[in-house]
Amino acid sequence: MSDHLLLMALFAAFVSVTFAALMRDDPREQLAFGARLFGGFVGAGLLLGWLLFPFPL
Amino acid sequence: MRATAAEQVHSSTNAYLMCAAAWLIPGAGHLWQGRTQKGIVFLVTLPLMFATGLWLEGRIFPFQLSEPLVALAAVADLGIGLPYFVAKMLGAGAGRVVALTYEYGNAFIIVAGLLNMLVVLDAFDTAHGRK
Repeated sequence: MSDHLLLMALFAAFVSVTFAALMRDDPREQLAFGARLFGGFVGAGLLLGWLLFPFPL
Repeated sequence: MRATAAEQVHSSTNAYLMCAAAWLIPGAGHLWQGRTQKGIVFLVTLPLMFATGLWLEGRIFPFQLSEPLVALAAVADLGIGLPYFVAKMLGAGAGRVVALTYEYGNAFIIVAGLLNMLVVLDAFDTAHGRK
């Protein structure tokens, strides 16, 4: 598996699930918080990726 | 009613024992405290994240004090507890530097260990009534 976006999303999913379980007690709140975290991680990753796009390696 | 000194020592010993179990088996501290849902989430998620890191050909870093960053990564790796020793026994975690997913694998392995340390601290805080 070498799809960078998929690996980033998988990493974000693991971290989001752990933090959601750690920081919220109610399952509904965990789901909402985890979804927000996951969206934030993936969104920030995509944004940073596009911001870095014009720069050479 | 205030706890006696003997009770406090006993409860403190229990908290440290619980922390050792929580470190060794991710989620065990929460299961010990009866927080089953959280315990199961950690028990599944963290070893799976560690295993994914190994599958992505990440490396379990050695304790190399001459290379401080490598030593820090080794401490983070150790944070996952029992899966670390199982992987070591099975000869996994050698890492393949030229693999495309090598750095991803390292990130998964290191972060799984660090997250388990946070989970242990959460169990410890709860045991001391701070949460």
